Amino acid sequence: MTDPVGKKPGLFKRVTGSRELRRQPLFTGISWLVLLFLYAPVAVLIVFSFNDNRSVVRWTEFSLRWYTAALDNGDIRRSALISLEVALTATVFATVIATMAALATARGGAFRGRSAAIALINQPLMIPEIVTAIATLSFFSILRQLTGVTGLGWLILAHTVFCIPFAYMPIRARLSDMPATFEEAAADLYAAPWQVFRHVTLPLLMPGVMAGAMLAFVVSLDDVIITLLVAGPGETTLPIYILGQIRRGVTPEVNAVSTILIAVTVAMVALTFLLQRKRK
Amino acid sequence: MIDVRHVTKRFGIGAPAVTALGDVSLVIPEGSFFTLLGPSGCGKTTLLRLIAGFELPSEGEIALDGDPIGHLAPHERPVNTVFQNYALFPHMSVARNIGFGLEMLKRPKSEISTTIEEMLDLVQLGAFASRRVDQLSGGQQQRVALARALAPRPKVLLLDEPLSALDLKLRKGMQSELKRLQHETGITFVFVTHDQGEALAMSDQIAVMSAGAVRQVGTPEQIYTKPQSRFVADFIGDTNIVKADLLGYEGDRALIHFGEGETLAVHAASLSLQPGPVHVAMRPETISILDEGAETALLRGSVIDSTYFGAGSQMRLRLDDGTEVIAQVEHPRAPGSRVGLRCDSAMLHVLED
Ligand SMILES: Nc1ncnc2c1ncn2[C@@H]1O[C@H](COP(=O)(O)OP(=O)(O)OP(=O)(O)O)[C@@H](O)[C@H]1O
Ligand SMILES: [Mg+2]
Repeated sequence: MTDPVGKKPGLFKRVTGSRELRRQPLFTGISWLVLLFLYAPVAVLIVFSFNDNRSVVRWTEFSLRWYTAALDNGDIRRSALISLEVALTATVFATVIATMAALATARGGAFRGRSAAIALINQPLMIPEIVTAIATLSFFSILRQLTGVTGLGWLILAHTVFCIPFAYMPIRARLSDMPATFEEAAADLYAAPWQVFRHVTLPLLMPGVMAGAMLAFVVSLDDVIITLLVAGPGETTLPIYILGQIRRGVTPEVNAVSTILIAVTVAMVALTFLLQRKRK
Repeated sequence: MIDVRHVTKRFGIGAPAVTALGDVSLVIPEGSFFTLLGPSGCGKTTLLRLIAGFELPSEGEIALDGDPIGHLAPHERPVNTVFQNYALFPHMSVARNIGFGLEMLKRPKSEISTTIEEMLDLVQLGAFASRRVDQLSGGQQQRVALARALAPRPKVLLLDEPLSALDLKLRKGMQSELKRLQHETGITFVFVTHDQGEALAMSDQIAVMSAGAVRQVGTPEQIYTKPQSRFVADFIGDTNIVKADLLGYEGDRALIHFGEGETLAVHAASLSLQPGPVHVAMRPETISILDEGAETALLRGSVIDSTYFGAGSQMRLRLDDGTEVIAQVEHPRAPGSRVGLRCDSAMLHVLED
């Protein structure tokens, strides 16, 4: 038996939607405009961070002096360290919690309120950040007063909470894509539940966990609104410091710090993509 | 020996519950190649998963060598599974996959590495120990899955349609390889398939299932020549099912009568059927074709068509009561011609329903 349709693909040429869309007038132009307005400011910022001049509009000569200045600035170093401390700690906590949440919602079988749990975990993504920030501020003020505890812990706690959904999404996505038969096979081969997790689930889940952790790290590192309201005295993070500086006008020093921040973020996001693609 | 006692498995809770298995009882002898055969959705995988421990029975008990195991976790049962999609651990080498069970059982390193070597030899993959599993062909992955499941020397090996993903030629090769492995290891194999040819070729015993129940258990020959019910006769192959009248019994034989000819004493699936209309299994190769007027004819009908297939021809006929039957003959008659049929009474078999 022959199949005339299958043998002659030319008879049924597929019309692809994206082709049609690309032919629409203005489509290409609008795309380029969007890209321009997205990335031109960043490009300008990066270029002028290497400018050997105080001006951020007039180019004179290439120089690394603003990087040196930024690195020599004690305030910048301090706030960068606080940013790192908060972001790293919050990332670890948020990733562990998100992994447990993903395991419970994707592998724990059906339990009462599972859909509600998933919705609740993701809900913070939907609430305007300023609302969360104000709510956290007043709630933490009460707690601070009641417990008498002060310190960076509160800021880390706030960051952990808003990082959880960002870490949860890629972990849960990876887990749902992963057939449960690997874990069944391990259990079948005499692995107790925690051994199944250690030898099979976690290694296979790792790209998702790393992606989640990096997303959480970047989100924490970039955060302004919640940090602005929750951070106590002496807990200035890098974005807050930059914000304070540009009130007095943009300086090439701020450009240099921002460029470093961009580099770190881009590296993280790129790594995330690579990790997610690796096991596909 | 696996003893499945009155096992029922329901999925879901409340009114829309699905009964995947209803009161199944089964004895799987030690050291046998035992096949679960049945159409899609009849509960084969469910029964296998209950034995492996991935599901717990809603009712009933499963015993292994007399000890109840129905409520143990999978890692507490000396039972291993070859999964349909193999489920090899993609982040481990071939050798580590094979050694995983022993590693979890905390066996000494030396024992693990000798067993891995033995297993690689057994499945003829010696050169592949350090390969990643995604660098293997389907047939090689299949054999790694077998080696991995056999390495801990389980009492029972469960195989859920392990050959369905392979092409025909590879499948034939793996069929004899599986038989060989079962013979060499002496481990009880419980094999799931919906391919009756595969089941007949490989098994010591077959359990034919339908709709969550076991319909018949027997050797391939018993299942093939003495199907108990119309379902089994139909499912196992090209058997004709013909209507007859049951008159009574004579010893362990049933006395039946077709439309014409003499009364015959034949085998019966049950000796407690009520006299009246019954169904009889009649194998195509036991039918002989006579002229229409022949006095010895038991049935009459007309030829629909015939197909030549080398050793003879397969003729389709329509009996006068409308039943279609197939006969294997050397000299086919022309389509449309009227004929009489006769059948070796020793090969007839009264069905239960
Ligand atoms: N987890 C489950 N939840 C609900 N119903 C299920 C579940 N697993 C199986 N069933 C149902 O139980 C019945 C038997 O399924 P099972 O997988 O055992 O069939 P099978 O004989 O293995 O079929 P196949 O040859 O297609 O693999 C089916 O009706 C199926 O829909
Ligand atoms: Mg199945």
